[in-house]
Amino acid sequence: MSHSLHRNGTTENLQNDYTFYARASRFVNREGCGPKLRRILEIILAEQPVNFGSSQAGKSARAGLDPKEYAQTLDKAYGVACCFSGKEALKRALVKLKEADTGISIVAGGLIDEITAVAEEIGITPHTAFLSLGIHGKKALLPEEEVLEMTTMCGHGMVSFNLARAVIKKVQSGEMSPEEGGTLLAQPCPCGIFNSDRCEALLRELREKTS
Amino acid sequence: MRIDPEKCISCLECIDYCPMKCIREGAEATVIDEKECVECGVCLRAGVCPTDAIFMPEEAFQYPRSIRREFSDPGVQYPTLKQGGRGTEEMKTNDVTGRYRRGEFGMALEFGRPGTGTRISEIEKVLKVLLKMDVEVERNNPVFLLLKNEKTGEMKPEVLNEKVLSAILEFKIKENQLEDVVNTLRPVLDDVDTVVSWGLATRFAPDGTLPVRSRLAQIGLPARPNAKINMGMGRPVVEA
Repeated sequence: MSHSLHRNGTTENLQNDYTFYARASRFVNREGCGPKLRRILEIILAEQPVNFGSSQAGKSARAGLDPKEYAQTLDKAYGVACCFSGKEALKRALVKLKEADTGISIVAGGLIDEITAVAEEIGITPHTAFLSLGIHGKKALLPEEEVLEMTTMCGHGMVSFNLARAVIKKVQSGEMSPEEGGTLLAQPCPCGIFNSDRCEALLRELREKTS
Repeated sequence: MRIDPEKCISCLECIDYCPMKCIREGAEATVIDEKECVECGVCLRAGVCPTDAIFMPEEAFQYPRSIRREFSDPGVQYPTLKQGGRGTEEMKTNDVTGRYRRGEFGMALEFGRPGTGTRISEIEKVLKVLLKMDVEVERNNPVFLLLKNEKTGEMKPEVLNEKVLSAILEFKIKENQLEDVVNTLRPVLDDVDTVVSWGLATRFAPDGTLPVRSRLAQIGLPARPNAKINMGMGRPVVEA
């Protein structure tokens, strides 16, 4: 899931956007990890993530994945993914996971200073960071920044530039609400780390700019 | 992916869903440009076709075209690696694998991301340069399976023109190589015919800081303020 790493955005609009991934290692603790992953799923669902899902399940909550259906896939999976819109929700989930002590690796994505502050507050020691050094190469191929801020919330690239453009246009013309737009753009991302709340806020901001 | 012209009613609903912009209106039906299609399956899974005209053709499963789907559809597992996605566990499980130790950096160059796709030939251009440096290329990454020559970085000729949504070159360097590796790679990356998202994995220092951030800023390659962080909750921890 390097796919949660390169989310485009400003320090302002990346606040309240936290990705979460529990991942068993193929080399260490994947064998028989299903029950532990289900326990982790139970913990995160209690904190009401904006979205959740997995490529094994083939779809996200925003595309209709039921939590029970998700839980059933975990015997053949090796991770649980979701995103939160509030730091407090992430913090509560991490506290419960610390208590549960499943031994499964936990990865949180978001603003570095916020994540490390949460860790310090709850008494855990972050181990490794994966930093984004930006986009290189033929940048002329890239779309407008407002499109990238939405599409990069699915790091696997499942949300197309043109779908984002079409949704922006519909929201700006009043044909679609920001909430509907956020949900629609979240649907192609099966891993469930597309934060539809953040997308909705970005769409609302773009609508206000044009009104 | 392909659209059955007998079923298609040219409603055009699928067009905007294609990440590669390779679905277009045809004379009698909507068509997919198979040279540009990466077999990611987004158009099919979107479920917007009212006549179920979109399908995955047999050719999508035949090598070398099959690598398009393997690299582009996150729901597909690599048969040999027993993992989905395009990369590896990288730092996600570093607390229990110890893959990146203090004194080392992991690097990931993701070609085609965000959202442009890449031909395998673009990866070869960079890999050939990379292998002339003293770096450790990740053997568990699916890109490694495409190599013809592990020493030169030459890829198998039949895969060079295959297009994928993205693919990741993962490698490890020693901390003191950072400036050299960055300075060598930058002009090479500027010359590729796609975009590349660059990531760097690093251990937190014992005092909880990330000293590499200031080094990166000094060489004009500042890290973004957001990142993903292994919270150190895996057990047993290999290196505290």
